Amino acid sequence: MIPLKRIVATVVLFLTASINLLAQQAASQEIEMADRLREDGKIWVVVGVIVLIFVGIVLYLVRLDSKISKLEKKIH
Amino acid sequence: MNNRKETFDPVYLSANYFKVLNEVKTLIWKEITLEWRQRYALNGMLLYVVSTVFVCYLSFNLQRNLLTPIVWNTLFWIILLFTAVNAIAKSFAQERYGRLLYYYTLSSPQAIIISKIIYNCLLMLALSITGFGFYVLVMGNPVGSLSMYLTSIILGSVGFASTLTLVAAIASKAENNGALMAILSFPLIIPMLLMVIKLAKNALDNLDMSANQDEILVLLAIDAIVVALSLVLFPYLWRS
Amino acid sequence: MKKNWWKILTVVLLIYVLVMGLVGRVPRQPILNETVRNLYFHVTMWFGMVIFLFTSLVYAIKYLRSSNITDDDKSAEFAKTGILFGLIGYVTGALWGSATWGDPLPKDPKIISAAIAMLAYFAYLVLRGAFEDEQKRARISSTYNIFAFVIFNVLIWILPRLTDSLHPGNGGNPGFKIYDSDNVMKPVFYPAIAGWTLLGVWITTLRVRMKNLDRKVSEY
Repeated sequence: MIPLKRIVATVVLFLTASINLLAQQAASQEIEMADRLREDGKIWVVVGVIVLIFVGIVLYLVRLDSKISKLEKKIH
Repeated sequence: MNNRKETFDPVYLSANYFKVLNEVKTLIWKEITLEWRQRYALNGMLLYVVSTVFVCYLSFNLQRNLLTPIVWNTLFWIILLFTAVNAIAKSFAQERYGRLLYYYTLSSPQAIIISKIIYNCLLMLALSITGFGFYVLVMGNPVGSLSMYLTSIILGSVGFASTLTLVAAIASKAENNGALMAILSFPLIIPMLLMVIKLAKNALDNLDMSANQDEILVLLAIDAIVVALSLVLFPYLWRS
Repeated sequence: MKKNWWKILTVVLLIYVLVMGLVGRVPRQPILNETVRNLYFHVTMWFGMVIFLFTSLVYAIKYLRSSNITDDDKSAEFAKTGILFGLIGYVTGALWGSATWGDPLPKDPKIISAAIAMLAYFAYLVLRGAFEDEQKRARISSTYNIFAFVIFNVLIWILPRLTDSLHPGNGGNPGFKIYDSDNVMKPVFYPAIAGWTLLGVWITTLRVRMKNLDRKVSEY
């Protein structure tokens, strides 16, 4: 009973591969996206910069928050 | 004067329906007699409308063909808008001093705001009908359906009056209320203005009643919302 | 450090949104192309604005019922944050619009209603500036706040009857549901709304606390 298992496996493999291929083909033919940027991994540079800026702003907010807390304690 | 329960409880209001109604009647009558006694304010407003229309007439005289029906309509409503803001701005201004304060200590805030709204509606109706008459006289009359246009004027002036009355009450609490009245009221009047301009445009094009039903209902709904809101909010303003 | 877990949540959510918003999979759409990612950034500003203005309304009502001046502080500060988010939404919308619709400010009910809301709330701030007395300012500006919010809702309700919209979901345009048919954007979009809103709440609470401190100092 080996063939059945094998047939199922190959069919599944073939199907997934072809779907992937089809999807990619269809998509790249239809609409242009910044796929290249993603393949390069350079998008992560952008992500890094934005996240760093955000972290900076958050740190600023945290410091402001703690300063206000201190003042609140002082006044009470 | 009015304790908390008395002023804010809708149950109180419905139970004392006739009392409030009577107060409203008295207050409106007071407003009208007062206005009539010092006619210069009323005359001033009428003159304001007429002279604004006349200025527009002279300005467009240079190139008459630019005055398309759309421009005609928009210009008329803008004149009415400014008239309304100016006329209603003073509705609370004169109350601060004088013996009239005494009247107000006797009546409930609801009665005051209702009477003010009704009185301002009457005032706006008088001003806008007069204004429309003069406007047609000097600027020509492209209106397709006069009855429909008059309906839009009536709905418009009632709507302007009810929206602006509460804003006037708010602005009168601040000292420099001329400019404040304008900036507070313009954003709030825009929904009404857009609706009424659309209705008036339909009247210009002589569309039949079924096309206008939607606009009329919306205008009435806005009026109802604004009046209800004024009733709820005015007591809080009045306490200060 | 009483209850600061939600601030941590804010940061985590927003970092997730920033990362997934840029590298996550998005549906391939004509015209929009990659700009569909603005859904996580521009659209959430509008959500934030409406949420803050609504919160401002709630505190205005609360103030009128309680006459507690801190409620008025909160109402005013939430209105200010709402205006901030509204302005950011306006500017980002103009940028996005000029890239996709070819016009930064087309005649669109959503843009018009946002502009009018900004005008109304600027008027609210001007009105607040006109009073010296704290309680009087609070009572009168709360009244205007409630009035303005209701009229703003009326406006949102009637404007689509007057003009067509370019925005998804009205004026015959398909909603974002159709764009996002395989639900790849929702797992980022919902956290984005929550994250940006929480960030605004954080900023607002800081400002409210500053105001409280200021009041206490001037009482001495």
